[in-house]
Amino acid sequence: MKNLLETQVNEKVIIEKIEGDTRFISRITSMGITIGSEILILSNDKRTPLLVFARDTMIALNREDCKKLEVKQGNSK
Amino acid sequence: MTKMGEPIIALLGQPNSGKSTLFNVLTGSHQHVGNWPGKTVEKKEGTFVHNKKNFIVTDLPGTYSLSANSDEEIITRDYIASGIADVVCILADASQLERSLYMLADFAGIETPAFLLLNMIDVAEKQGKKININVIEQKLKIPVIPFSAPRQNSYEAFYEALEKALTEKPILDTSSLQKGLESISNFNEILSLIPSGIILKYSPLWLATKSIEKDKKVIARVQEFQSEKQANDFNLLVNSINDGALKTGECKFTWIDSILKDSFIFKQTSISLSKFDKLAISPRWGKLIAVLIILLGLVLSFIPGIPFMAVGMSVPSMISPIIQEALTSIGCPVFIIGIICDILINSAGFCLAMIGLIFGVTLVFGLLEEVGYLARISYVFDKTMSKIGLQGKSIMPFLMSFGCNIGGATGARVIDNWAQRVLTIALAWAVPCSATWAIVPTLSSIFFGIWAPVIIVVIFAVMLLHIYLTSRIIGHFLIKQEDRCGLIMELPPYHHPKWKNLFKFVLDRVKEIAFRMYKVVVLISFVFWLLTYSSGDPSNSILSQIGKVIEPITLFFGFTWETFLAFISSGISKEAALGVLNSLYTSSQNLYSATFNGAAVTSNLQELLQNAITKPQALAFIFAITFNTPCIMAIVSTYQESHSAKWTGIIAGYYIGLALLLAFIVYHVGLLIF
Repeated sequence: MKNLLETQVNEKVIIEKIEGDTRFISRITSMGITIGSEILILSNDKRTPLLVFARDTMIALNREDCKKLEVKQGNSK
Repeated sequence: MTKMGEPIIALLGQPNSGKSTLFNVLTGSHQHVGNWPGKTVEKKEGTFVHNKKNFIVTDLPGTYSLSANSDEEIITRDYIASGIADVVCILADASQLERSLYMLADFAGIETPAFLLLNMIDVAEKQGKKININVIEQKLKIPVIPFSAPRQNSYEAFYEALEKALTEKPILDTSSLQKGLESISNFNEILSLIPSGIILKYSPLWLATKSIEKDKKVIARVQEFQSEKQANDFNLLVNSINDGALKTGECKFTWIDSILKDSFIFKQTSISLSKFDKLAISPRWGKLIAVLIILLGLVLSFIPGIPFMAVGMSVPSMISPIIQEALTSIGCPVFIIGIICDILINSAGFCLAMIGLIFGVTLVFGLLEEVGYLARISYVFDKTMSKIGLQGKSIMPFLMSFGCNIGGATGARVIDNWAQRVLTIALAWAVPCSATWAIVPTLSSIFFGIWAPVIIVVIFAVMLLHIYLTSRIIGHFLIKQEDRCGLIMELPPYHHPKWKNLFKFVLDRVKEIAFRMYKVVVLISFVFWLLTYSSGDPSNSILSQIGKVIEPITLFFGFTWETFLAFISSGISKEAALGVLNSLYTSSQNLYSATFNGAAVTSNLQELLQNAITKPQALAFIFAITFNTPCIMAIVSTYQESHSAKWTGIIAGYYIGLALLLAFIVYHVGLLIF
């Protein structure tokens, strides 16, 4: 288990755990990120928000919130 | 339905679902923009005629879900459940179907007739996606239509589905969603405690789901209908479920997957960034590209403004004398002539001069948003702007403000969160506009000669400090702690701009702003005209008399009564500061025309000013006018975008106060130096 920030570009991961208040959870859910969903990391640079691809959508996530998402290695690279 | 029997259609969809485009095409110019009662959220309504029948369309605020996290979301859900709308048209983006169907899943359980519109079907087809509409229709039991704004036959399908929804009143089938939700422990027990038909058109299923998501508003409303014991049990059961929102979220997406299974061919699981996007989102190049594009946009937005400015500035002074002469010859009282020529015609010219610029800014910003580039700007500037409590998009109104604060305020409309939009405008006011840059160097060099550049540098430093402090002070009151959330944003795929629709949107917007501005400018002009009315020497006017009486106080802040009047006028238009000084010190011109028609600076003004004003006073004056409120047009634009007279007033008061404080500090520092 690692958080979303500890991933590499082009890595595919599966969301295992989402922490945070109801507000955060409802926002992240409405963007299509739920437990069990597979996401692809498009950019991971400290100077910009994390960029991922999930459910047909490119999503930018601020780095602080990424720590609330725990992920495991996806099936394929 | 209205009292006249006209059906009401509500458009519901996530941002970027093409909702506004559909609204604009349907209603054409038959639109009305106002506020939702008691809220600062914009309400757009329009009408259209089809088959000789009148329809009302309500464009609901674009939200990602129907939770209770913002005013927009609460307004949206209460409206569609209120029964006011006869049918809800739910929009989803076919090119990002899986995610954008979330709105449908969150709507499920609201028992208002509905139909589903799969927008941007052309884009989806280009991506190689095939969607079997019939299968989806069978599963949902509501009409489903593929849609593409450029395709004419899309609209026929739309009207057909609309008629069908109005006559058959289809309700979205939630049985398979319910099955999924029942797997959450205690869900059935919670469901059984909610009587049906109690709150608007919310079904017990919907209310139970939101209760599990710890939606406080829903829980409180359900409990109103329960006995004390029921309410207690309900509370215990709801609180026994941890991570309810996560569980229902999973259920909703499982439901979406089950709808798309055997109706959706080609599931995109991977993506690679285009060459341009690689640069556009890179920390170094992305910022550079964004700044260049915004500056280019700034220049381009001034181009349509030029002819309007030329006409607006020159025509009133050309036709006013003719009308004045004509009216005098028929024996019209001087007072009436003054109102017509000085106020009505002059204000029209003043507004006209600004219209072109507003048109340009709205067009450029609208274009950047429509093609999808705006989100990239937001992305690369997120870290920078979050330091002052704003999102990345706010960089644009700031840069625009160096050109014009009206542009800055108008451009802030792309910021979706109300509090952040108002804060952005409030901070962008601190950026001196091009009119300020036209007079500040002149004044600085008159008084400080070769030291003028130092003053400019100090102004920049004060600007940054001002922005920082104001973000803390105004932000503290404006943005609630729970609203301070980090960026979670979709970067939409790039789209071709729909020019026709874009122009229409921009023209409507400009028309609306122009009327409102004209009213305000006429009102303020009238007051100012009365206060500055003088025959001959401008120092006889009421305003001058007041200025002289309070001079002992203003001197404490470093203002002579003349510079204080010029400071007040600079809140109407920045150029006025120099014009008013000129007219007061040379007793040449009426103060009113000096304010509105800019500075016809007399050649010996330099000498006059140097004799009349000390260096510390000049310094106080320069800082005061630079950081005073921007022109009245910018203030009206602020009201236009914030939908709040209260906050526009608070910000204006804050700026005037801070400008006086700055003048005071600078004056007393100046006394020590000079």
